[in-house]
Amino acid sequence: MSRRLALVLTAIGLGVIYAAPYVLPPFVVSLLTLVFISGLLATSVNLLAGEAGLVSIGHAGIAAAAGYGIAWATVNGLGVGVRVLVALGLVLVVSFLFGLTTMYTRGIVYLMITLALGMVAYGLALRLSGLTGGQNGLTGIERPGFVDVWWQFYFFTAALFLLALLAVWVVRRSPFGLTLRAIRDSETRAASLGYSVAASKLMATMLSGLLAGTAGVLAVWNSEFISPAVSSFARSAMAVVMVILGGTGTLLGPLAGAGVVVGAEHWLSSYVERWPTLLGLAFIVVVIFMPRGLIGQIPARLLPRSDRPQEPIDNLSPTSEALSPTSEASGGRGPRAGGAG
Amino acid sequence: MNGLSFGALLFLLASGFTLVFGLMRIVNLAHGALYLTGGYVGIVTAAATASFTTALIAGAVAAATLGVVTERFLLRRVRGKELPEVLLTVGIAFVVADLNLAIFGGNPQSIQTPEVFSGALSIGSISYPRYRVFVIALALVVGAALYLVQRRTRVGAIMRAGVDDREMTGMMGINVDRVFAWMFLAGSALAGLAGVAAAGQLTMRPGADTDILLFALVVVIVGGLGSVEGAAVGSILIGLIDAFSRVWIPELSYFAVFAPMALVLMLRPQGLFGVRE
Repeated sequence: MSRRLALVLTAIGLGVIYAAPYVLPPFVVSLLTLVFISGLLATSVNLLAGEAGLVSIGHAGIAAAAGYGIAWATVNGLGVGVRVLVALGLVLVVSFLFGLTTMYTRGIVYLMITLALGMVAYGLALRLSGLTGGQNGLTGIERPGFVDVWWQFYFFTAALFLLALLAVWVVRRSPFGLTLRAIRDSETRAASLGYSVAASKLMATMLSGLLAGTAGVLAVWNSEFISPAVSSFARSAMAVVMVILGGTGTLLGPLAGAGVVVGAEHWLSSYVERWPTLLGLAFIVVVIFMPRGLIGQIPARLLPRSDRPQEPIDNLSPTSEALSPTSEASGGRGPRAGGAG
Repeated sequence: MNGLSFGALLFLLASGFTLVFGLMRIVNLAHGALYLTGGYVGIVTAAATASFTTALIAGAVAAATLGVVTERFLLRRVRGKELPEVLLTVGIAFVVADLNLAIFGGNPQSIQTPEVFSGALSIGSISYPRYRVFVIALALVVGAALYLVQRRTRVGAIMRAGVDDREMTGMMGINVDRVFAWMFLAGSALAGLAGVAAAGQLTMRPGADTDILLFALVVVIVGGLGSVEGAAVGSILIGLIDAFSRVWIPELSYFAVFAPMALVLMLRPQGLFGVRE
């Protein structure tokens, strides 16, 4: 895809985002706001999964930490600036803990530990009822004045999402991004070239945590309410579904995935009662039939080189490297036939 | 002592989990959902037949059936691809847990324990609920059986060979697919058994599946993935820590379980009994 076409498409995209509140009914716009928030959380998962090959099923826990920070500070009558600082501090601490406990692991172990950490976050949200309000959560958390009206909040959310995309784009092109990809492709090789694998992973987790935290704050401002459900396993798993559904490692994949999931949830849950069953079935179908996601359905030549979906992450443990020397040679450029197990 | 019986439950659960992982490299996140299914089926069976033994068997069979169906029709399609395998089990966990809610309702339920196990056993001045003694005994029997099967039989030899080198085992003329299917069946049956046993001590309710899955995860992370010995030591450790922290620091008991996990991960990432890859 040529550079000019990319620019035109970007301009059209921005134009659509800008025009939405003027032409669409408020209800749809609020749904779009939700898509951006979910997309942001999915983007934070995608940053780790796509660049570093680390799939986290616990990111809702990080987002919830920020959400509870904002909520607690609001309930206790602190100023807007202080609220954001509290949330930021909590996010940094929590994602540091996530990073610290996972930096020596990879693949499936990483996934399991983030899952356990996410559950611990849920447990804490439920049990520390003095701070979190327990099962009932904290209510009446008003948005700050400048985003009080629905369309203001929509623009604010969209702007933050675009900012996050820009950040991810910058990270991907930075030396740090390349280090992460080196670690993803061969941890042993990256280590022997002198990169500090553990420190890079910690850093990546914290960067991703910042994005997740932003999503957490926005989610609280959106619903003006927080309960332990925001840190649940289902929420974390949903973010992973969005990433895979959209296309792992692509810039816009998570947003596409979020659009489909949020839209489907909203539309279907008014018809059928068993939404979790549907979500589970969607999970199964996506994993079996669409491992490369929605963006992966677009022919590769139409996509900018930097935004082609990776081949599905099949083998999380690096043992397979030794068996397939060809995978080193192809350097992960084009899609190759996935999954020789 | 409460910690010990909870540890025994954890062992029943974690041993199945770790067995499946050890051989198949599948992190079965539907393990909690299978446990819940086993528990519910056990409760219903016990109420219908008034036989606790039948309930135990029915729970294990129900979970095993579910496990075999998922292995045969879903997991086999993505065999050897680790991430899709895990994500599939997440999907299955959602479906199974939600169907449990649909079938058995949302109220917490417990199993009707037989006469023999009600009341307390007193040795000297200490009295202890009989049911918990039964759970500990059950875990000991299962643990001993697993150990003997693994060390003394041909099936055990194949299992150990499969853990060490899956491809080579296949080369030796062993039908790895069939071994996998049986392994998954055994792991699922253990989850179901744990569910029925737990139904007499804890309650079965929506959400119990993810609660217990957290404990199983922590146990196998601490003990080392794929190691039955590790599962045993990890279960007792986590069971005791959980019981003590519930008494001493009730609000932070969740955190207390997580602390040893973090410690183990930083000092010995492969777990106490794990083998570094």
